[in-house]
Amino acid sequence: MRVPLSWLREYVDVQQTSEQLAERLTLLGMEVKGIEAWGADWRSVVVGELLTVEKHPNADRLHLTTVNVGSGEPLHIVCGAHNIAPGQRVPVALPGAVLPGERRIERTEKMGIASEGMLCSGDELHITSDAEGILILPPGTPLGRQLSDLYGDVVLDVDVKPNRGDALCLIGLAREVAAATGATVRWPEIKVEETGGPVGDRLTVEVRDGVLCTRFVGRWISGAKICPSPDTVQMRLQAAGMRPVSNVVDASNYVMLELGKPTHTFDGSAVHEGTIIVRRAVAGERLETLDHVWRDLTPETLIIADPQGPIGIAGVMGGAESEITDATTEIAIESAIFDPVSIRRTGHRFALRSEASLRFEKGQEFRLARIGADRVAQLTLAWAGGSCARGVVDTAPNEPVSPRLAFRPSRVSKLLGAPIDTAEQRDLLKRVGIETEAAPTGSRIRVAAAPKPLEIDPGSEEVVMAVVPTWRRDLEVEADVVEEVARVRGYETTPSHLPDTLMPAYRPSPLKVRNSIRETLAGAGLTEVVTHALVSPENDARLQWPGDGGLAIASPAAGGVIAVTNPLSSQHSVLRQHVVPSLLGVLALNERQGREDVAVFEVGKGYGRVGDAPQEWTRLAFVLSGDAQPAAWNRPARPYDLDDAKGIVEMICRRLHTPPPSYRPDTRGFPFHPGRALTAEATADAESVSGRVAELHPDALEMWELRAQRVIVAELAIRGLDEATVPRIHVEPIARFPVVERDLAVIVDESRTAAEVEAAIRSHGGALLRGHRLFDLYRGAPLATDEKSLAYRLVFGADDRTLAEAEIDAAVAAVRSGLEIDLGAHIRS
Amino acid sequence: MDFESLSADLRSLQARALEEISAAVDPGALDALQIQYLGKKGDLTAVLRGIGALPADDRPRVGAIANEVGEAVKGALATRGTELRSQVQTIRLAAEKVDVTLPGRPVARGALHPIPETIEAIAEVFGQFGFVIHEGPEVEDDLTNFQMLNIAPDHPARDLWDTLYVDIPGYLLRTHTSPGQIRVMQSTRPPIRALLPGRCFRYEAVDASHGSEFFQVEGLMVDEGTSMADLKGLLDEFAHALFGPRKTRFRPGYYPFTEPSVAFDVECVVCGGVGCPACSKSGWMTILGAGMVHPVVLQYGGIDPERYQGFAFGMGVERIANLRHAVPDLRYYLENDLRFLEQFR
Ligand SMILES: [Zn+2]
Repeated sequence: MRVPLSWLREYVDVQQTSEQLAERLTLLGMEVKGIEAWGADWRSVVVGELLTVEKHPNADRLHLTTVNVGSGEPLHIVCGAHNIAPGQRVPVALPGAVLPGERRIERTEKMGIASEGMLCSGDELHITSDAEGILILPPGTPLGRQLSDLYGDVVLDVDVKPNRGDALCLIGLAREVAAATGATVRWPEIKVEETGGPVGDRLTVEVRDGVLCTRFVGRWISGAKICPSPDTVQMRLQAAGMRPVSNVVDASNYVMLELGKPTHTFDGSAVHEGTIIVRRAVAGERLETLDHVWRDLTPETLIIADPQGPIGIAGVMGGAESEITDATTEIAIESAIFDPVSIRRTGHRFALRSEASLRFEKGQEFRLARIGADRVAQLTLAWAGGSCARGVVDTAPNEPVSPRLAFRPSRVSKLLGAPIDTAEQRDLLKRVGIETEAAPTGSRIRVAAAPKPLEIDPGSEEVVMAVVPTWRRDLEVEADVVEEVARVRGYETTPSHLPDTLMPAYRPSPLKVRNSIRETLAGAGLTEVVTHALVSPENDARLQWPGDGGLAIASPAAGGVIAVTNPLSSQHSVLRQHVVPSLLGVLALNERQGREDVAVFEVGKGYGRVGDAPQEWTRLAFVLSGDAQPAAWNRPARPYDLDDAKGIVEMICRRLHTPPPSYRPDTRGFPFHPGRALTAEATADAESVSGRVAELHPDALEMWELRAQRVIVAELAIRGLDEATVPRIHVEPIARFPVVERDLAVIVDESRTAAEVEAAIRSHGGALLRGHRLFDLYRGAPLATDEKSLAYRLVFGADDRTLAEAEIDAAVAAVRSGLEIDLGAHIRS
Repeated sequence: MDFESLSADLRSLQARALEEISAAVDPGALDALQIQYLGKKGDLTAVLRGIGALPADDRPRVGAIANEVGEAVKGALATRGTELRSQVQTIRLAAEKVDVTLPGRPVARGALHPIPETIEAIAEVFGQFGFVIHEGPEVEDDLTNFQMLNIAPDHPARDLWDTLYVDIPGYLLRTHTSPGQIRVMQSTRPPIRALLPGRCFRYEAVDASHGSEFFQVEGLMVDEGTSMADLKGLLDEFAHALFGPRKTRFRPGYYPFTEPSVAFDVECVVCGGVGCPACSKSGWMTILGAGMVHPVVLQYGGIDPERYQGFAFGMGVERIANLRHAVPDLRYYLENDLRFLEQFR
């Protein structure tokens, strides 16, 4: 809410500088987001007096003027307006002046005659809405003065929180200033001169939905003359961020900003039979609103109607037909209380949210219906003349009594952690208009209100009754009183001490495994990224990343994709199921920046749905592209390949203390290289790693517009990534007897995999085989073209003795014959 | 052959050997001299062959001289050998000299992303005060995200959270980590000290200071008598841990799920409180929102608001990271330009 200080001062004295005031308000909970020097963008605009006004010799629409600006020679200025005459005081933009919108004024020539500046309209200065005529200043305005000195103001931008609808106006903020500074609030004197006949002769109001409209106050003014508001009023509205329209409309807006009461003015002649009906719309009814859009009304919409049909959407926007125009003379004033939820829904339904509807949504003080109607009538009479009908139409004239709210001063101290005695609490509350009185015996404490109400018996504790001001609709429960005490006393007085209560039970952190993997990968040269969970629908679809079929850990039944129903853009409209496509996006972005070596990983979520149950799971994904080892002066370059990715998977397995992963080829082809894709799996008691590792198919690279020749990707499910599993290490005793190594070259057909060879070695190695390691892979002469040789180093040993040669020979022989029989291998020792 | 001539032969052999040994220039030559003089078929053996012709009395004397000669030659060989090896080593070492100012062989090291790292830094501080990590779902139900947090379906405060809805009835993308408060309270009993980091979503156009996806860390503490003073004490520790010794202040804030609600400010990290554009000239920067958990929320969490009270706080991870690292644009975080990320290596 924009608060011009000069306007605020009408209701409360402000002794502080604007900065001091801003800080006091902020500390009271009315955060001042900005302090604007209104008029600071009129630079070199001064007050001048028109000496002469003559016709321009070369252009009918232009005038030649001479203007006295208080010093120096009179200026010759060419002007296009028609409302000027000698003797008037006007704003003059001198050469070099800058107007709002960074508009620069220089010496120019207009139709052959030099012009030494410009006479300004209210619109050009953003003071009034008049763009046609020059702004005519009052006769006594001092000559030569900077306009900003005279009309400049300070405007505070106050962030009024949604629960404080009562403070969305100058009176409301004046109350807060008073609470902060100890000053007193001055209400405007509201008095309506009723010179017309009885209002009942002109206006009848029928409220057919007493739930959605709890009060309707109407007034009638005849013989008004529509014209612009006084300049000072227009300036105030402008400074407060509201565009002036006409005297009657401005009166309504002025009252909304002043008192926080939205009202509406109708052209009385368009209200048929002088009868206003407040009802829900009937299906099929339509209304052209003030913005000249036809609206289809629904039965949920509360409307203002006359006997012939809708004339306005209650609390949201009036109808075009009953709009105040220059020809209007009869004016019907509506000042009503509507159901906040209904207004909010209607505003959303029609995507129409106005300053008025925002205030209705937050709830209105019941009393304001009558006060608002009177104030609008008073200002309309002052600015537009006419005569006001006698009396008001008021559908609920009984003003309610102030509600009472019982609270325990001890509870206030306990919540705040600061002892504040009862007398001080009562004093503090009084400063924000909350009177206190003794609580009748048996008063119950409202601890919580709807939707989960709780009232309790305070027992023997001291109870004080707060008299809640009618405008404070936000004070509902005891804790609300606590906040009032705290904020008036000053939050900055809150003591600071560390909790000394019981600690919670130990709970392992779900971040533990994630962090150890993150740190491990960073140590291996991969950089962590965090990408969007919301992606384009094509993102997952076009990569065709396979589901978890055949993997040891499946996502919790990934199911279908979850889509956002109101996405910001199609680029971010569904929740991803896989992380790899996002990483390809990161690769593409960095390639565009000229990066060729990219190794990135993300621990991120996938999302899916099974029926109407959403699912989320955490994955580790990485992408390798370019050089694993960039060339250095002391090292040749080496590009990333599939083995690097497998090495990373193996390292993760070691980190999690699972057995080494087992690999199975995945020959599906797209999106994978058909000969360079695999599933990797490793499981232990508490930990497991499973997923896919592959070089991408060249078609996939093309699809993502990647320049890289090869891109290696992996996506792994790791138990522990989102659970707090902690790997346990069971130590094997160190061997007391020496182990013996034997090398074995296994010549097999190309179609045999290393996994098959190793499985055979393990199954035939017997109890003495302690380990095996592939140390060479050879193809070529003297082997046949469809043969390869895998050279393994076998390690034999026993816990209780040094092995005899014969034992080792027997074990090796068993492995040999096993390989020969199982795989048709030839062995060279 | 008599004793005199034999011993003279031995002496001259010694003299010749020592001369040749001292003239040797490489270990190979020394090896050859060793064989030549001391080998089985060497000169010393050859001289001693004449010993048989001597009278028995003279033999031990010649033997003693021969021993002396042998020891002297061995000693000379060893000394010269050490000398030569040392020379060779010196030459080799000299030849192996490198320009030690050349850079080393690169060891790969990746960077860790500032978002999880900042979450870790926050968790580290609160972890010291017994706060344990919980995590909740990102696809959240309306009930937990809003209604149980005292935000009814038509509450005007809903405008504070522009929400992205999903095509599962009753679900949305959580707009804050606050629903985690409900989940923690429903699953654990007081004393509660919980920290809930995670991704959140808003219907908000992306620019330098807003993102539609962002990260928050929520904190919750509930026990008998947990007060706003406890909240202030903890947040002061937190602010000092992350931003050094600076002034802090509480001022009123507004959240439907806390009462009283708090905004927590620290002295501007840019200007130190004097006032600058970064702090809108106020000298203060708001780093998080907090408050005492609303009784309605406690009840939805299954906790008796008469017996227990507590506080909650929530902070934007990017905000904290921005202040710590002076990141100029929020978009950097999810864009993942390596030129940005590698600065965190
Ligand atoms: Zn600053």
